[in-house]
Amino acid sequence: MKRILVVAGALLLSVGVGIAQQDKVKQDQDVMKATGRAMGAVLSPMVKGEKPYDQAAVDQALKQFEDTAKRLPTMFPESTKGLKAEGDFSASPKIWEDKAGFAAKIASFAKAVTETKAKIKDLDSLKANVPVIGKECSSCHETYRVKNS
Amino acid sequence: MLRRILLAMALAGIAGLGVFWWLTIPAVVAPASLAPHTPNLANGLVAFNAGGCASCHAVPNQPDRLKLGGGLAMPSPFGTFYAPNISPDPNDGIGRWTEAEFVTAVLKGTSPQGAHYFPSFPYASYQHATVADVRDLFAYLKTLAPVRGKARDHDVPFPFNIRRNVGVWKWLFVDGKPYAPDAARSASWNRGAYLVNGLGHCAECHSPRNFLGGIVAAQRLAGGPNPEGEGWVPNITQKGTLAGWSVKDIAYFLETGQTPEGDTAGGSMARVIRNTSQLSAEDLAGMAEYLKSLPPIEGPPRPKRAKSG
Repeated sequence: MKRILVVAGALLLSVGVGIAQQDKVKQDQDVMKATGRAMGAVLSPMVKGEKPYDQAAVDQALKQFEDTAKRLPTMFPESTKGLKAEGDFSASPKIWEDKAGFAAKIASFAKAVTETKAKIKDLDSLKANVPVIGKECSSCHETYRVKNS
Repeated sequence: MLRRILLAMALAGIAGLGVFWWLTIPAVVAPASLAPHTPNLANGLVAFNAGGCASCHAVPNQPDRLKLGGGLAMPSPFGTFYAPNISPDPNDGIGRWTEAEFVTAVLKGTSPQGAHYFPSFPYASYQHATVADVRDLFAYLKTLAPVRGKARDHDVPFPFNIRRNVGVWKWLFVDGKPYAPDAARSASWNRGAYLVNGLGHCAECHSPRNFLGGIVAAQRLAGGPNPEGEGWVPNITQKGTLAGWSVKDIAYFLETGQTPEGDTAGGSMARVIRNTSQLSAEDLAGMAEYLKSLPPIEGPPRPKRAKSG
């Protein structure tokens, strides 16, 4: 009886851990989505001329990028390796296979955010610097993100 | 009597072979048909970027997109193709090619040796490009650095490895017509349509294909399973995601790879953006204007995704 309880407990615990990890994947995905919104709903429309330049909104978007850059190094623990996210994309196994390369991408993103933040003061400087950040997004996604089949 | 039947069958067989042979003769552009032309290298560069040559012919896993040594593997339901060396190297690339041979390769899909290229080389789209653009492209390619080394042979099993059969495929899916401008539309729209359907060869990935590997004409640009394997290629008619994108959004995406949702181009499209980002604002605006004008076309049904977890 005791054994059964132990086994059942262990099973429950592992299921619990599994659910928790899937939640973690969802949370991380939400961070990436918020990052995307800062780009797609705030900065890109200004660059495209669909919205007027708004320094407060720009600052907020850049703050989101800084926050994401800070979270990224701990966002993909060993325990979430191989888990699929809902939606179109999931983390590539390369994140765990090439940790040094992935860390370098995060560092490069963080650097780009810091540097561009110091430069963005008006629409022209925004237009010049948003693509710098955009390239960081693309180049990391290209290697470390995969399409869900 | 039996002898006569056998004779008739043999004759029918020979006639059939004759028709097959005649039907599958690789088309060639005669050198004499090319009028004198002063190459425009700047336009050749535009053709190079619009054609996305570097996406497949640049040596994989290195940053220089002008190093056209080939070697990229392109998996398909018919086998794996390997992009050849198109650098100006005289032995391994196109260094010894004549202009007419190059124009023939791009517009007709026929090699200098007179064999059909496999349609993994998107001549079914390139055929709509102008001869002048292709001649400029040739002149531009000749200015790039030669790269040594041949790519490995295609890994295509029987019967798809019989190149003569590609002649039938061409007869079915290649009409040989240059782009015909639509006078009712703006110059910008026509430029966009020319780039999307010709050099840009967007339909090659963004359309469903039938069991022969031909594009399903009625569902052109309506997306479908990724011809290279995993995943799904988006519908880029006004039925798909692009219905919610403005003309500006589409042009901005082609320039930067950024979607209006703030996401970035995924899969092979990241490589495509590296080319389209080099195009002029006018060309991108034209492509966006054309794509936005496409009627909504329902693509093939997307299979339900495997449950996550």
